[in-house]
Amino acid sequence: KLGHPSELPPEPTPGYEADEEFLRRLHHVLLEVEVLEGSLQCPDSGRRFPISRGVPNLLLTEDEA
Amino acid sequence: PPIPRGAPPPSRPHLAKMSSAEPGRFFCTAGRGLEPFLAREVRARLGATEVDCVSGKVFFRAAAGSGELRQLRSGERLFLLLKKHSPLPVSGNRGKMLHEIKSLVIEDPKYWLDIISVWRKLHGHEGKMDDGSRENALALKRKSEDETNTASKRQKMEQVRAIVSEECQVGAGETCEAPDRMSRQEECWTESRTSSELPSRGSGEDPAANEELSFSFRVSCRCSGAIARILTSQEVGRAIGTALVKQCGWRADLRDPDLEIFVHLNDIHSVVGIPLFRLPLANREYIRTAGLRSTVAWAMASLAEIRAGALVLDPMCGLGTILLEAAKEWPEACYWGADISDSQLEGADGNIRTAGLVDKIELLKASVKTLPLPSESFDSIISDIPFGKKFKTTSDAQLLPDLLQEMERVLHVGGTLVLLLSQELHRRVGGLTRCAGGGCAEASADSDSGAAPSVDGNSSSLAQGGGEPVLSRYFGSLLPEGVYAVSLGKTDAFIHKYRKVSPAGS
Repeated sequence: KLGHPSELPPEPTPGYEADEEFLRRLHHVLLEVEVLEGSLQCPDSGRRFPISRGVPNLLLTEDEA
Repeated sequence: PPIPRGAPPPSRPHLAKMSSAEPGRFFCTAGRGLEPFLAREVRARLGATEVDCVSGKVFFRAAAGSGELRQLRSGERLFLLLKKHSPLPVSGNRGKMLHEIKSLVIEDPKYWLDIISVWRKLHGHEGKMDDGSRENALALKRKSEDETNTASKRQKMEQVRAIVSEECQVGAGETCEAPDRMSRQEECWTESRTSSELPSRGSGEDPAANEELSFSFRVSCRCSGAIARILTSQEVGRAIGTALVKQCGWRADLRDPDLEIFVHLNDIHSVVGIPLFRLPLANREYIRTAGLRSTVAWAMASLAEIRAGALVLDPMCGLGTILLEAAKEWPEACYWGADISDSQLEGADGNIRTAGLVDKIELLKASVKTLPLPSESFDSIISDIPFGKKFKTTSDAQLLPDLLQEMERVLHVGGTLVLLLSQELHRRVGGLTRCAGGGCAEASADSDSGAAPSVDGNSSSLAQGGGEPVLSRYFGSLLPEGVYAVSLGKTDAFIHKYRKVSPAGS
């Protein structure tokens, strides 16, 4: 979820390896976009870890550790 | 001293390109303990031959230009070697000793001109500037021969103003040069001298013209060992300085001399050299805020065996010095740094951006006690353990096994762990690695029982290879592969290298 809903489909469509346009957008998101402010979400727990100035804060609280 | 095993050293690229440089003899100073790393580096990076390691220095011969020489990462200051003789015989006769020292350094002006042109060639300077300098240096010699009264008067003034810098250490071995310290000393010296010594241009010559024509120099002298008991560095430097003024008619200039001459006299040898660069090699233009000394950081990274595509972690990265050195030298790897301190992470971020390594180094705010990273995901972990200088509470001591456990978890089997430990931690780790797995945490708390693997703290001797019986047992699945004592200036520290092996029984 990077604020570009129109650019990437929620899941790769079959045959995506050959889709140049898709690959280009994917490459951009994976390797060229730097998240400065935002968050990372754990896929299991849903817990959000804030990103500030490009650095994610992954410290756990006392209870979580 | 044994050469550290492991890491593919930086290999010398484009051999063909460099063959245009003429072979020269050099020496490079090194922090205590780093000499073997430097010896290996000059061989690998410069194809050096005739490599000779002594305490605090590595001598070598190489065909390399200043661009290549500047790449050296584990050395302090690099010099063009002029003379290397056996140590000066020490007698009670100061006059005789001074005379011998002078004859070591004093040469015909033509000798110096040749040296200067070698120096300039190394730096790629050719052409008019060169000839101009030669003219100056020669002209002055002639001038001082022709003029009699006025010349001798001026010489006397210059003799008095021959300013030298001193680093006198009466002791067993060489000490590591601290560039800051030296320039501060020199500054003080200039101030006291220029206020009390007024140049009297009794000859009626135009002072400005004099300054322009005269070739300037500075002598830096360091005496230690037996010689230092008879003569001080200051005296020796002054004697050499005045002799050079007399012989060549040069002018002493502390701030910005045309030529700098270094003289090191100790129990091992007598060495004369010319520094190649103004600033020490350890000053990296790509590091904005320095943390750990860059030379030590580089040496640690060189032990980690970083290969292309490797994932490297520093879980207590601080300002990121280790990651910066590693990423600059071995750019085909991915680097991750973690720290719990915002201010350190900020500093690291600034350093990474300054160095242009944003694509290579990723930062996390995370704790090494609970790393948010999958097990067996990294190929190397390199870290300067930031505590353990004084154990104020027992919890400090307990911390280390927890850290080792977490770092071990995150490492691939076959991966390397390189840590920098204080003397105290080093002793405690000695205890940890001597007990069989399990129950280690308790044993370590009181173990000062064994001596740590004995390392000669005095000089360059170090590395205990993996065959050492004392280190043959391991903590969990971390197999010790070497210990290297290094000087951090005021204190000593120990680099420990481990490899993660398959769990016992599999």
